[in-house]
Amino acid sequence: MRPVLLGSMSPESLMEELQAAPSRALAARRLSELGMPTRKSEAYRYFEIDPLMDHDWERVEISATSEIEETQRRIVITDGVVTALPADVEVQVGCSDAIDLDGAHFDPLYYLGHLMSREVISLRFRKDARVTIVHRCTQPAKLLAYRTAIYVDANVHVQISERYEGENACGALILSGHDAFVSRDATLTLVKDQTLRIGDYTPIFSHRIKVDSQASCRLHSFDFGAGSGLQLIKAELHEHARIDADHLLYAKDHARRGTVSQIVHIGQSSVSNQRAKNILVEKARGIFDALIKVEHSGKETKAHQNSKAILLNDGAYMASKPQLEIYIDDLEASHGSTTGQLDEAQLFYLRSRGIAKDEARKMLILAFANELIDALEDDALREDLHRSFEEAYWGTTNVTCMETCHGCEDLAAETAAK
Amino acid sequence: MSRVVMDIDNLHARIGGKEILKGLNLQLEEGKVHAIMGPNGAGKSTLSKAITGHYDIEVLDGEIRYKGQNIVDWEPEDRALEGIFLSFQNPVEVPGVNNAYFLRTAVNAKRKHQGLPELNAAEFLREMKKLVQELGMKPEMISRSLNEGFSGGEKKRNEILQMMMLQPDVIILDEIDSGLDIDALRAVSEGINKMKDGKRSFLVITHYSRILDYIEPDYIHVLKDGKIIKTAGPELVAELEEKGYGAIEEA
Repeated sequence: MRPVLLGSMSPESLMEELQAAPSRALAARRLSELGMPTRKSEAYRYFEIDPLMDHDWERVEISATSEIEETQRRIVITDGVVTALPADVEVQVGCSDAIDLDGAHFDPLYYLGHLMSREVISLRFRKDARVTIVHRCTQPAKLLAYRTAIYVDANVHVQISERYEGENACGALILSGHDAFVSRDATLTLVKDQTLRIGDYTPIFSHRIKVDSQASCRLHSFDFGAGSGLQLIKAELHEHARIDADHLLYAKDHARRGTVSQIVHIGQSSVSNQRAKNILVEKARGIFDALIKVEHSGKETKAHQNSKAILLNDGAYMASKPQLEIYIDDLEASHGSTTGQLDEAQLFYLRSRGIAKDEARKMLILAFANELIDALEDDALREDLHRSFEEAYWGTTNVTCMETCHGCEDLAAETAAK
Repeated sequence: MSRVVMDIDNLHARIGGKEILKGLNLQLEEGKVHAIMGPNGAGKSTLSKAITGHYDIEVLDGEIRYKGQNIVDWEPEDRALEGIFLSFQNPVEVPGVNNAYFLRTAVNAKRKHQGLPELNAAEFLREMKKLVQELGMKPEMISRSLNEGFSGGEKKRNEILQMMMLQPDVIILDEIDSGLDIDALRAVSEGINKMKDGKRSFLVITHYSRILDYIEPDYIHVLKDGKIIKTAGPELVAELEEKGYGAIEEA
């Protein structure tokens, strides 16, 4: 299957070609309208999408759900199929008509993912929970598409941490993503560690997040990966809803990775705060193409967006495009973007105290990343991410409390005093 | 005259194409307090930058001999490890770098350089907390990001804390009194005076004589237009107060 050929098809042909379920008619219509992404598409301008769309892919056939292992707090999805699950999370797997597709998503691959996903994994949280989702891909050089729907019921508070493994999936293209629905007064904290622990494939995550009245979503994405990868996020905020989105990217070699997002303020008094930090080495390219849109109905909203990038080599490149599209006067909004090198004054200050140049650089890079890692409330996740970043940056980790924790000094001193 | 620990000879240096130091000569004696006074733009801060190897400075000619070696081409960290310390006029804020972690890294780098075993976290913190208390600093300064959000006085106290932890041989205090209230000035001065041990040398760079009421200088050097134009004992302070820098002519 060559995705590029789908671009010129009618909705009916798309449905037939992809053997999509009738409930995916909207996806077919939208994909037909948008066409397949090319390097000229705004969302994929800085990402080399053409070779991926032009490639003749063998599709991974999603097998029927087999035996599901029972775990503690861990959901494992292997090649698009749930293989492990905690007992207290309700999961429905199937092609549900109940999924409320976003009819105005900017990403054609959001719709392609839905058309190709015969089964949507639906996770419904009826009570407070903390779970980890592990995504495993084992099929090399194939195209795998699967979608997850997350429902957080009213007044429920859920933390989901996600990580990705690509066992033997080198050269694969993964079209994946969530449709997340955060109900009234609920909270969804989504911590995505997109660094591939094992293997190498190209992920394109296309998310849709709907945050209902007075609900909030905290999205923390961490990507310390090599190769190509992109996350595309469309979020809609209703009355008094809030989203805090942090994206930390460390990319090296010839990596092309980043975030393309649209946050739409629909309801009044909604709040969005988006921060991106990018550390780019060698010939890596970072992408932060983010739009915050405030609709006529979004009175008294607060919308803030900021991107900072450090380029550690001459060949590194940051494509940063923060944008605001505002249709009302009564709001508070800001956006900004900076790209530069390490601060010479800071570097000199550390060196003037006897700290070697390489060590001083390391401290400053860690400090730059720390702001977003330290924003995590979960201690264990925070430590994991610190370790993950150190491993990505210089191969080993020697994270200690003194380096990363801002509150453990007393404990260390007390222990010594005893 | 005591042994000379640093000998600056005919130093010419420029910043951004403009020559600031124009043949400066200065000898720092072991165990003595040298005060450098001079009008704005005379080159006082440039001198401190030249000694510590700041990236802005281009040394055009001359030597800075320290412990018998010309250090003009040394990296800043090598100068620091050999015992040169600059208390910055405006210490830079470094968000995300924990104050305690930064200082422990610096202390252990120096200990390693001296062939001493590194301090573990608890040993280090015990020492740091003691000094934090002595300097009248808030205990939470230990765990905050380096200088981030510190007031002017807190930044200067933090410089003195670093100085006391690192135990340098030559201490340059660049306008240490600027922005300090009386209490902070007294605490900072007491910290500096505690460091006087008859071996350690001080170079106090200042506009005003106020700090010199607390840290008694052995020598006063007047720096004007990139050169030391007069060196005398502490009695020169009164003359400068009375007549101003304009009345001092090159010797």
